[in-house]
Amino acid sequence: MQSAIPNLENRQNRVLDLLKANSGLIAVFLILLAFPFIVALLNGQSFSAVLNNETGNAKFLQGLMIEVFILGVYAISYDLILGVTGLLSFGQAMFFAVGAYVTGIAFKKLGLGIWATIGLVVVAGVIQALLFAVVLPRVKGITFALVTLGFASVFFIVVKTNELKDYTGADVGLQGVIAPAFLDTNKERFVLYIISLCFALVVYLVYRRFVDSPTGRVCIAIRDNEDRALMLGYNTFTFKLVVLIIASITAALAGGLHAIHQPIVSPNIASLAFTVAALLIILIGGIGTLTGAYVGAIVFRLLQFYLDKWFGEGANFLLGLVYVLLVLFIPYGIVGTWRVHSFRVKQGRQYLARLLSGGAYQPVDAEVEE
Amino acid sequence: MSSLLEVNNIHTFIGQFHILEGVNVEVEKGSILALLGRNGAGKTTTLKTILGLTPPRKGSIIFNDKEIQGLPSYDIASMGIGYVPEHRAIFRDLSVGENLKIAERKKGDLAGKEDLIFELFPDLKRLIRLPGTSLSGGQQQMLAVARALVPDNKLLLIDEPSEGLAPVLIEQMMEAIRKLSAETTVLLVEQNFIVASKLAQKYVIVEEGQSVKQGLIEDLVDDKETIHRYLGAA
Amino acid sequence: MGGFRETILNNRARLIIFAVLFILFFTAIRGMDTEDWTITLLRGLSVGAITFLVAAGLSLIFGLMDVLNLAHGELFMLGAYVGWTVYVRPDTFMDVLTFSTIIGAGLVLLPLWRYLYSNWRPSQSMANIWPWIVLAATLVLLFFAIREYPLSIWDPEDFTQSPGAFSLAVSQGMLVLPEPPNYESIPPAVGLGALFLGGLLLGVALVGIEQRKLAALIETHFSWRAIVMSAGLLILGLIFFWFNDPITEYLLNMNTAARFFLAMAVAALSGLGLGALVEKSMIRPLYDRPIYQIMLTLGLGFIIIEVVQAIWGRPGFGLPKADIFSGTGEGCPATNFSELLENQCSTIVLFDGRVRTYNEIFIILIGVVVLVGIWLLLQKTRIGMTIRAGVQDSEMVEALGINVRRVFTFVFALGVGLAALGGILAAPSIGLSPEMGTRLLLLALIALAVGGLTSFPGAAAGAVLVGLLQQFIIKYGQIGINLPFLDEPFKPTPPLVPASTVLLMVILLLVLPHGLFGRRE
Repeated sequence: MQSAIPNLENRQNRVLDLLKANSGLIAVFLILLAFPFIVALLNGQSFSAVLNNETGNAKFLQGLMIEVFILGVYAISYDLILGVTGLLSFGQAMFFAVGAYVTGIAFKKLGLGIWATIGLVVVAGVIQALLFAVVLPRVKGITFALVTLGFASVFFIVVKTNELKDYTGADVGLQGVIAPAFLDTNKERFVLYIISLCFALVVYLVYRRFVDSPTGRVCIAIRDNEDRALMLGYNTFTFKLVVLIIASITAALAGGLHAIHQPIVSPNIASLAFTVAALLIILIGGIGTLTGAYVGAIVFRLLQFYLDKWFGEGANFLLGLVYVLLVLFIPYGIVGTWRVHSFRVKQGRQYLARLLSGGAYQPVDAEVEE
Repeated sequence: MSSLLEVNNIHTFIGQFHILEGVNVEVEKGSILALLGRNGAGKTTTLKTILGLTPPRKGSIIFNDKEIQGLPSYDIASMGIGYVPEHRAIFRDLSVGENLKIAERKKGDLAGKEDLIFELFPDLKRLIRLPGTSLSGGQQQMLAVARALVPDNKLLLIDEPSEGLAPVLIEQMMEAIRKLSAETTVLLVEQNFIVASKLAQKYVIVEEGQSVKQGLIEDLVDDKETIHRYLGAA
Repeated sequence: MGGFRETILNNRARLIIFAVLFILFFTAIRGMDTEDWTITLLRGLSVGAITFLVAAGLSLIFGLMDVLNLAHGELFMLGAYVGWTVYVRPDTFMDVLTFSTIIGAGLVLLPLWRYLYSNWRPSQSMANIWPWIVLAATLVLLFFAIREYPLSIWDPEDFTQSPGAFSLAVSQGMLVLPEPPNYESIPPAVGLGALFLGGLLLGVALVGIEQRKLAALIETHFSWRAIVMSAGLLILGLIFFWFNDPITEYLLNMNTAARFFLAMAVAALSGLGLGALVEKSMIRPLYDRPIYQIMLTLGLGFIIIEVVQAIWGRPGFGLPKADIFSGTGEGCPATNFSELLENQCSTIVLFDGRVRTYNEIFIILIGVVVLVGIWLLLQKTRIGMTIRAGVQDSEMVEALGINVRRVFTFVFALGVGLAALGGILAAPSIGLSPEMGTRLLLLALIALAVGGLTSFPGAAAGAVLVGLLQQFIIKYGQIGINLPFLDEPFKPTPPLVPASTVLLMVILLLVLPHGLFGRRE
């Protein structure tokens, strides 16, 4: 991955370098910004149709893309835990669902404003991360996964019980979450689209920065060999805790956005199946690559949508099959595989250069272990 | 004498690390050959590569006139190679008797070798029912060697038999290995040069994944410079 | 031996936990009438027995191969559905058995292809491609051959033909099976021939896939055994085909208890077969990528759920108990065991309480039998010895010349077989539904974490502990707990049941991170 290396000579160059280093990202952002307008154009609508929320393909695809952004943010938070830090957790769906339920209840039952709600979601995110972290110093690997699975399952069962029907809506879920008017998914689709896009972008940038920071490097070291990281004098518990808190808050915020966009909170998003969805997304995209979470989210959502459309009931079966085949044959996912290949391509180019120039052949460092 | 084992220019990778970069070893039938070298030189990996636990990516291994590189470990072991790993690897949940029994390749292997084993390691006889965990380090080492003796092995790969043992036990272990070599061939990895020089007839020195020097061990004993250069203190 | 004091000191956390658990248990018992606590105890043991059947396999598999098989719950469920089919629809079972036998007859010729292949040297790219082409063609062929096979089956979409309706008919003793269909569009010989050919080609493709890299290395010889086995299976399959109706009739009229045991055997055996298949085809390529195995089993679990929903339908249904467990007539409830056997009562009076024969006695009995059986297997047989050794260090076992991979397959098959047995055993008491596995898996995983992940006794102890806790909480949910600082009895609500087991796990892991019987690695 290219990272911005600031040129200290002068400020102008620095900005230019930053732009250059992130040109791909900026291009993607601009394309996504223009995306609703392009769709509208292709469908014979005018640009104002997008701004006025006229029904049509443009609006529909914006809705789909909002879901992709939400899924992407949700998946990237899981990637941080699993792919970057190497903590196997089966509680990601709970992180997401807590955000969604808190948002729903705050709007519907407590009548809170948007900022208070966001504050509440963040607090809830921190609390559940701390809950998961209770066993963190003592329990490792699979056992930690089992504990998280236990917590998440209890949460799933609890939101589905009739005792809490007034708050969670039990089996049916929380219906009719009324978001502030400027976020209404039906009337202000384009605004929500832009907000989701920016949200996804900001999360990505923060995560990128985190992984490239010294703290992030330690997290990767923990994934590769925790004992070694411990021996180097790092208190790995603190790092894992920080990662859990960041991931939990991110997922909870994504859940909140989900509650606003849907605007129904179904208990399904708290089930193990939804954690598996996150796993599937980062598997498609490539574990530990961050970018892969978004790539995976697009592929996953489109796959889900079209399989549903074409095969109806059989869609889940096919999705499961895709998943198994991915694990068996494309373990690095799209982004990961592409990086392995681009490494080979680079190597080949250098080899060619050596042949032509007769100079010394300098092998490039492997980015992804084969 | 013909050679029982021929290791030709093997290259082994563990993950992306190139551990062995060309090791050549030739062990003659009925002899003891010592593999010498510093820590991390690649001696243990050489043994594991012979056994197929870390298969070589390049080079050939010929055992008993057959190429064995690339075969699964259990096939290689079944051809008659016994392995005594570093740190013994005694099975904790098995009794001493079961630790021996599990090494049988056909029924009756153990019954046929019991006399030999108890002659070499009399201690084991009274420990036979105890769990593997309750043994001392020295007893575990003896059990590990005894385990390799149960089937009819043509070649024994013994990794650091003297490591962590008290001097008295080292003597006993050396005695046992000397007795063994009357019947089988031994490829020995040893840090302790004095032990190695008393046991082996020939040596191969491994340095940074390559075999750099070989010859008769009696020539090496007086070659202080080589010892100092490749083995550190002597 | 002066180690006794040390042993106590080293295990003090464990001993304290045991003491606390015992105190808790006795406090729980003291709050109830004799009648209540005996029944609750038996129910707890019953849940524990079912949980144990799932947890035992999980623990063996995880111990030996470091694979946490998250599809285990779904395999448990599959066992229940397979057993249901044998018990309620023997005709469908016979049909499936017939074509499986014929496909199997083709498949067992596999060693012959290995022999032929060793004399054929295709180019590497050919060797990489052709098996997949053959495999794809074979699957298409098998798909059509099986679809053409005259299968007598239920229809989840049609209420009168749904699995639930058949279950109800069996429980009322009024089961009428639909008219057995025959080959219609093609002659039977062609249909059966296609099945045989499908199995045969499947073997060819599998050998091709297996030998892509190893062709030169494996020694092969011409195998007469394969031909004899194939011929035997073929004859068996044809017998099944021609005498399908009489055999079905026989199964239908046999003693329901015998049919239930047959259902248990078939469920366990198909679990065994499926386990071996899953291990060989999917888990084996991933031994050097541990986390991927967990992900794979997760995906597999979802596929199984979808398949079950497609075949047996989404709604749950029951499995009637065999007559021997369901008598309610004269002399019931029984007051002692001889009366119980004589009158075939559904309940027996023990300690003033009515205990259900099937749920609280038979299930526990099977649980104990399996526990002892597996224990004997582990302690007294050579393969058990290999498993115990492999749990600690499978590389060393391999270095001794033992084909550890074969042991892996065995253990995986055994574990899945046990889970499938648990499924059919649990079905009459908890009913069949596509979700039954997920719930039980959670319980089994908690039992495993509590007992110590790789420890077999730990799996048993954890399962019993979780079962007891769950049942006592449920019971206290009905009668309430008198707490000193509350006016009214505190009644644990249903959500507290799973919460309590998870809480138990978390507290226990905080004190003993490796579980009750686990060992620090």
